[in-house]
Amino acid sequence: MNRIVNDTYRAYEPRPFTADQRKDVTLLFGGVTWRAEQLLEGLFKSAGYNAQRLPDVTVEDLFLGRELADVGQCCPTAFTTGNLSSFLKQEAKRIGPQEVAEKYVYVTAGACGSCRFGQYHQSYELALKNLGLEAFRLFLVQQHEIDQSKASDAGLQTDIHLLLSTALGMMAADAIQDLEYQLRPYEVQPGATNKAAQKAVTEIYDAMLGRPKTLPKWRSVGWHLFTRRFTGAMRRARGYFEGIQLDRLRVKPMVKITGEFYLATAEGVQNYNMHSWLESEGAEVQPAPMVVWFDYLMRYGGQKLEQRFGVNKNARRNFAMLKLGQRVFRAKYDQMRKALGGVPRPMPDQDELRKLAAPFFDNMINGGEGDLLIGKAIWAHTRKKAHMVCELSPYACLPNTMSIGAMAAVQGAYPGMLYAPIEVKGDSDVHALSRCQMVLTEAKTRAQDEFQAALAAAGLTLDEARRRASDRPEVNAPFWKVPHRGAAGTAANVVLELGNASL
Amino acid sequence: MRIPILQKAFAKAPSARAAGQKRALRIGIPRVLNQWSTHRFWTTLFVELGIGRRDIVYSSETSEAQQLKFGKGRGAVDCCYPVKCMIGHYGELLDGLKRPIDILFSPIILTVPSFLCGNVRENMACPRVIAGPESTRAGFQREKDTFAEKGVTYVSPSVSLAEPALAARQLFNAFKGILDGLTPAEMQRAVDRAYGALHEFDSEMRDQSLEVLTSCASGNRPCILALGRPYHMDSGIGHAIENELQAFGYPILWGQYLPLHPEVLDWLYKDLIRAGRIRNPFDISDIWKTSHSANTNELLWAARYGSLMPWITCCIRFSSYECGMDQPTYSPVQAIAESLGTLFFVFQDLDETKPAGSVRIRVETIAYYLERKSPKIMQGKLAAFQDAPPGILLQNVPDTGTASQDPLPEPVQTGSLEIADTTNRQHPGAGS
Repeated sequence: MNRIVNDTYRAYEPRPFTADQRKDVTLLFGGVTWRAEQLLEGLFKSAGYNAQRLPDVTVEDLFLGRELADVGQCCPTAFTTGNLSSFLKQEAKRIGPQEVAEKYVYVTAGACGSCRFGQYHQSYELALKNLGLEAFRLFLVQQHEIDQSKASDAGLQTDIHLLLSTALGMMAADAIQDLEYQLRPYEVQPGATNKAAQKAVTEIYDAMLGRPKTLPKWRSVGWHLFTRRFTGAMRRARGYFEGIQLDRLRVKPMVKITGEFYLATAEGVQNYNMHSWLESEGAEVQPAPMVVWFDYLMRYGGQKLEQRFGVNKNARRNFAMLKLGQRVFRAKYDQMRKALGGVPRPMPDQDELRKLAAPFFDNMINGGEGDLLIGKAIWAHTRKKAHMVCELSPYACLPNTMSIGAMAAVQGAYPGMLYAPIEVKGDSDVHALSRCQMVLTEAKTRAQDEFQAALAAAGLTLDEARRRASDRPEVNAPFWKVPHRGAAGTAANVVLELGNASL
Repeated sequence: MRIPILQKAFAKAPSARAAGQKRALRIGIPRVLNQWSTHRFWTTLFVELGIGRRDIVYSSETSEAQQLKFGKGRGAVDCCYPVKCMIGHYGELLDGLKRPIDILFSPIILTVPSFLCGNVRENMACPRVIAGPESTRAGFQREKDTFAEKGVTYVSPSVSLAEPALAARQLFNAFKGILDGLTPAEMQRAVDRAYGALHEFDSEMRDQSLEVLTSCASGNRPCILALGRPYHMDSGIGHAIENELQAFGYPILWGQYLPLHPEVLDWLYKDLIRAGRIRNPFDISDIWKTSHSANTNELLWAARYGSLMPWITCCIRFSSYECGMDQPTYSPVQAIAESLGTLFFVFQDLDETKPAGSVRIRVETIAYYLERKSPKIMQGKLAAFQDAPPGILLQNVPDTGTASQDPLPEPVQTGSLEIADTTNRQHPGAGS
C-alpha cells in the first residue's frame, strides 16, 4: 500500500451522475428569488430533469451553516450551506443517508473567482462530511462560461441550450419583479399585486415547460434569439396585472437596493426581509435586478479584453463578440420590458456607471460587484432615480466591504447623498433595521419636500392634483409609465406630469 | 548554515546603476500586503526608471505606534487586519518622513506572479487586497484631499503582474504623464529587468531554503514550515512568531520560498503522478478545485509539500483577523498537512494585539511536541517513500530504513490553538 497515494488528503469529487440516472434523481437548487426559482424549476423539468427548489431559507439554516462549516464565513455562505444541509438532514432522517445520496444532487453556481463565493464548494463539502453525507453529489455551474457541455452520458448537461434559457428566465423574473415593486406600494386593494405576480410567474413557468427539450448549439442560439415564446407569455402575464387599482399620489421615498448579489436579490430572512420592511415603512423599493449584474460582468469582461488589445491574439475579436452578446442581452431584456408595457425600468448604461465611479474606484478591481455599487449609488443620486440607496452587504464580504470603504470619499464629494450601507450578519435584525430607519426618516422628509416643490412647480394643490388624476384615469392604471420629470419620487413626478411642469 | 530572515531581505535595490534617464523624484511605497512578495519588482522598476536608490522609500513594518500616530481617524472600512493597517502606512509616508515624498505609489495588484501559473485556474489577488488602496485613499480624501494638500501625487494603477506584457502597458499608462520623457520602450525594459530581479530574488530564497533542508536531512533534524500569506512576514502582522520558534533551534521555511529543484520535486511527487492523482508537481487540482487565488493556491501547494517532506515535521499556520480568503481553507490545509503525521498548529485571527505571554506558552508547547515527536514523524514520512531521498538532499542522511513498514506515529490532534494530548505531561511552559 502506498501511503502517499492512499493516505493523503483529496478534495471532494462527486460520484458520477449519469444520464440514465436522471429519471430517478432530483436536482436540488436555490439561492435566487422565488420568481427565478420557479422558472428554473420549469427549465430543468423541460430539459428532462426532476427538479426541486430548496425550502425558503430560515435563520436556523444560518446557525446550522455556521455550525457545520469553518468559522468566519460570510453570511451567504452560511445561509446557503445551512439551507442545503437542513434539507438533507431532514431527508436523511426520513429515508436514510444512503437513499438521500442516491436520490438527490445539488446544483449551484460556481462564481466570480477568488472571493468566498467562488469557494462555496469547500463549505458544502465540509458540511456534507460533518453530516455523514460524503456520498452526496453536488455540482458547480461556472457563471462565466456560456457553454459547459459535458459528455453525452453526463447526468447534468449544462450546455448552451440550458444556459441561454436560464438567462431568459432570469430576465422574465426581473421584469416581473420590477413591475410588482412599482405597483404594490400604490395598490388600493392590498394583496392584488402579489396575487397577479404569482399568476404571471406561473404563466412564464408554463412557457418554460414547453420549450424544446434539446437543440444543437447554433440552432439553440437561433431559437433563443428569435423565439416569441417568452415575450408572448409575458404579454399574457400582463393581463393579470390589468385592473389593479392604484393611487400614485401617495408620497413615498424611493429606495434603491444595491449590494452583494445574493443579499441584494434575496427577499427573505437573508437580508432581514429588507424589501418588505421598507415597503411596510412607507417606501417604494427599487429592487436589484439580477440582469444588471450579468450586464456588469459582460462590461468587465470587455474591459479586460480591451486592455489586452495587441497583447493577446484574439482580444479584439473576443471583445467584438462580447459587445455583440451584451447588446443582444440588453435587447432581449428590453423585449421583456416592452411586453409589460415598458413599465419595468431599463438597465442603466454600464459605461455611464463606469464613468461615474471612476474617480473613486478603479474599474479593473474585480470580485463581487467591483465598481458597480459605487456607480449605481452616484447614478441614483445625481440622476434623481432614488431618494436613498440601501446597500446590503454581507458582514465580512471580501469585495463589498471595500467598495463601502471607497464610498467614504463618494459621500465627501456628494454630501447630499442618502446612503445606508447595511452589513448583514443574518441574526441582528434590530441593529440593521434601526440603522436603515435613521436614513429612511431623512428620505421620507426629502420625499415630502420634493412633493411640495412639485406641487408648487405644477401650480397645484393636492386636491387639485387628485381631481386632475381622476380626469386622467390612465395615471392610476398599472401600465402607465410614470414620466421622469426631474423628481425621484413617483407622486412628485405624477404631479409634475399633471401640471406639465418639471423640477 | 545560513538562515534567511525575510524581513531583512526586503526590497534591497539592485547594485547596478540604471542606464536611462535620471529622474529627481522621491517615491514612497507602503510596505503592505503583496508588496511582501513583489517588493523586488517595484524597487528594481523604479531604479531602472532613473529614480535614485535612496529616493525609493518604503514605510516601516506595521506597528501599533504607526497605526496610532499616522492612521487614527482615517479608517473608512471594517475589514481584515492587514488591509486595515494600510492607513498607518499611508499616513507615515505622508506625515512621518523627514524628507517628503513626491509620489505615493500604491499599486492595485490584480494578479500575482506565481510559480503555479499554468497549473491553476487563475492567479488573482484577494479582492480585499486588490481594493485596499482605494478604500485607504478614501480615508485621506473624505474631508479634503490630503495628497494634494501635501503636494504628493497619488499613483495607484491596477497592474496584472501575472501577465508581464500587460503589466508593462499598464505601468506605462500610469506613469506617462508623471515621469518626463517616459517611452513605452523604456518602461518595457524596466519591467523586464524588474521581473528578472524578482525571479532572481525568489531563486535565492529557494536556494537558501534548500540549504536549510539539506542541512536538516544531513543531520536528520527537523524544521518548521510557516504557512501564511506574504504579509505574515511583516512583524506587525505575523508578530514574528516564527522567529520565536527559530530561537528554539528549529529552522523556519516559508511556503512561498520552498525549493523547487527538479530532483526534490520528482522525489516528492513521483507517486502521486504515477497514480494519476496529479499531472505534475505543481498540479493542485486534486486538493483544491477552485484555484483562483494565487496566494491561496500557493498555501495549499505548500501544505502538501510540507506534509510530504520528511524533515518538515511541523506546519505553523498564520491567519489574520477576519481573513475571508483563509476561511474556506482552514479544514483542507489542516487535513493536507496532517495526512502523513506532520504536526499542525494554527495562530488564527492575528490582529494588533500581541499576547506575548500566550504566544510564548504556545511556542514552548510546539517546541515540546517537536522535540518529542519529530524523530518518529521523520521516520514515518521517509518510510512512506518507495525510494531513497535524492542526492541533492541526501548528503549524510543516516539509514532510516526507507523500506521499513513501521506504522505512522500516532497523530497529534492539534486544532486551532488547542493542544490535545497534554494530559499528565510536563512540558516547558506548562503553568507559566
